[in-house]
Amino acid sequence: MDRNQIGKWLRNPAKMANKYSLHAVYFCTGCGIIEIPPVITTRWDAERFGVLPVATPRQGNLFMITGYVSLKTLKAIIRTYEQMPDPKYTVGFGSCPINGGMYWDSYNTIKHLDRYIPVDGWIAGCMPRPEAVFVGVTHLWTLIDKGKADGYLRYRKNYAAYRRNQEMLFGELDWSPLYPVGDEAEEAKR
Amino acid sequence: MNASLRTGLEATFKGVEVTGPRDGMMSVSAPSDSIPVVLGYLKDQGLDHLALVSCVDWIDQGKFEVIYLLTCYMRNDTDYSAEQRLHVLLRTEVPRESPSLRSVIEVFANAEPYEREIHELYGVHFEGHPRLIPLFLERHYEVPPFRKDFDTRAYVEQTFGSIPPVED
Amino acid sequence: MVQVSQKASTGSGRELELYFGPQHLGMVGNFSITLKVEGDRVVKATANPGYLHRGFEKLMEYRTWIQNFPMVCRINVVEPDSMEMVYAMAVEKLAGIEVPERAQYIRSIYLELARVASHLFGLWAYSNMLGFDTPAQWAMYHRDLVLDLFEELTGGRVYHIYIWPGGVRRDFPEGFKDRIVSTLHSIGGCVPDYDATFFNNRLFYDRGRGVGQLSQEQAKALGATGPVLRATGMKFDIRKVEPYAAYDKVEWEVPTRQQGDAYSRIWVVRDEMIESVHMIFKLLDAMPGGKVYNRIPNPFKWRIPPGEAYVRCESSRGELGLYLVSNGGEKPYRVHFRTPSYPHGLTILEKALEGASIADVGNTMISLYVVAPEIDR
Repeated sequence: MDRNQIGKWLRNPAKMANKYSLHAVYFCTGCGIIEIPPVITTRWDAERFGVLPVATPRQGNLFMITGYVSLKTLKAIIRTYEQMPDPKYTVGFGSCPINGGMYWDSYNTIKHLDRYIPVDGWIAGCMPRPEAVFVGVTHLWTLIDKGKADGYLRYRKNYAAYRRNQEMLFGELDWSPLYPVGDEAEEAKR
Repeated sequence: MNASLRTGLEATFKGVEVTGPRDGMMSVSAPSDSIPVVLGYLKDQGLDHLALVSCVDWIDQGKFEVIYLLTCYMRNDTDYSAEQRLHVLLRTEVPRESPSLRSVIEVFANAEPYEREIHELYGVHFEGHPRLIPLFLERHYEVPPFRKDFDTRAYVEQTFGSIPPVED
Repeated sequence: MVQVSQKASTGSGRELELYFGPQHLGMVGNFSITLKVEGDRVVKATANPGYLHRGFEKLMEYRTWIQNFPMVCRINVVEPDSMEMVYAMAVEKLAGIEVPERAQYIRSIYLELARVASHLFGLWAYSNMLGFDTPAQWAMYHRDLVLDLFEELTGGRVYHIYIWPGGVRRDFPEGFKDRIVSTLHSIGGCVPDYDATFFNNRLFYDRGRGVGQLSQEQAKALGATGPVLRATGMKFDIRKVEPYAAYDKVEWEVPTRQQGDAYSRIWVVRDEMIESVHMIFKLLDAMPGGKVYNRIPNPFKWRIPPGEAYVRCESSRGELGLYLVSNGGEKPYRVHFRTPSYPHGLTILEKALEGASIADVGNTMISLYVVAPEIDR
């Protein structure tokens, strides 16, 4: 460890510990399941970057959405995201969450993921190589250092807009809002 | 086997037309209410593998064509003879306005998810099917999505294009 | 994560509904099973596919014949090469295109390498599920060595788009044969280690014996093919029943077992991997020279004469078939993939899980060798 790092650790140990131990929720959402096992096993070892798969969303703080998102999967993704504790980071993996990718004209996949949950970074590719995943993770570290990886704060601030988008797509949602919306928000402020 | 199959089919059932075998494929056309009986007959003749139940939408002719694809498993351990490579396509036609067929689950138990899928994606009703509930789709569509008059690009534009981005 | 629902259905208070849901550490692929359990025994299991449905067959009707090649490999993400093969075979059958002999040999070698990679992925999934982490890590590492070969040959690790109607896209590079041989020797040299840690392990025997048992009659009635059927004793393999590419030009045997449970299925997978490696060596020795593709006339404005075709090949999961209908235009009229995971993951899974204990649900599911994107397409 060089002197810069020691300084950073002493000034803000919580942020440094958070950055170097991003635990990924194990959810294979789409095509990208094929490049996750190579990333977490011995050849492209993700644990040296601190990234480790964990069993439940309550234990994880990195959510990698690997590949395209269908309508049923989006419901599961929103519920999983809302169960993760703060601070949490989302990374869109592949070109399908960005703008629909090669299924741009499919009636069952969503086209822009960041209209439903906040996304901190994107990794392009179809499928991205494991080296691209690690470049993405180190870039996320830089964003966390500068304080720009604030997806979870944006979710809290703009929750009404996200919830409205989710309801426009699905109709009535069968889980209650995570943060107070509408009249309850006014009550809470007072 | 092939020649006897053809003569046997034509002798046993009225209204059944057999073409082929050509290029390893024999095509059998039958009226829609006789499908379970013809399938049972073909199964007794040794075609015990129902590989596929498919549906083609001939919108210009106003009909759906439902295809049952049969091949055989093996008769014994060393029989890799050329006769076993026959593919039999049993086809029937139903009108597009109110398509309905009898389910073949009593004959072939593995036809159950195929019929559910055709019901969901094309709108063909199968009588006698124990659970004709949605298999893949999350919502109900006005026009079943695999029909030729469902324009998927227009649907995408209308449903997903109308959701605004969240501004900061 | 197991979510407990408050709505127990019978009202007796004895049954509980659990979701072996899409987000689960033991679920490989996005698939969900709803279990009604009583104590530790599963009373009824319902498979919920649809999390990966893209409407592939509808999308393929909007793209030309050549534009569909990059689409087609993404149906089965673990072994995309058999999908390309079956689509190319169907298109060649409808259009009447011949494939040169060297291309047939290259296609066989390429498909067998894909089979080895896919079986190593299945081995990772299964041994991880049982808790044997060491052979799982080895299997993934060896799969990466095979993917390096693919990357040198085609340019991509996962999606290759190498098989083309009329042959293959390009010939083997300089010295590629030696690299295949040395990679397979290094993987094959580790087989005693795999046997000692996993296959001959008493714990694998105890956990796999009798789990998800199917008799041959049941398997045939429910539409099983591939390792699931070969584990019940039937030597049904499309490479022997209806040979394609160069499979009838080399000597090889179909491995089978007799019991039909999870233990037998994984042993069949191991034997198939070893047989594939031997087959690749024999094919490399017997490969002739010559060109590797026949040109198709004007691929961008290509029209295929009207007709229908059903072709099938043996993917690592079972019998993969394609029913293709053309009406003489530039785009397919109807495409329907008969994927092997469809009967395995929907009909056979629900039957095999009746009466199983909760600990054996993941065991049964992964030993039935299901790939979730293949079910939904």
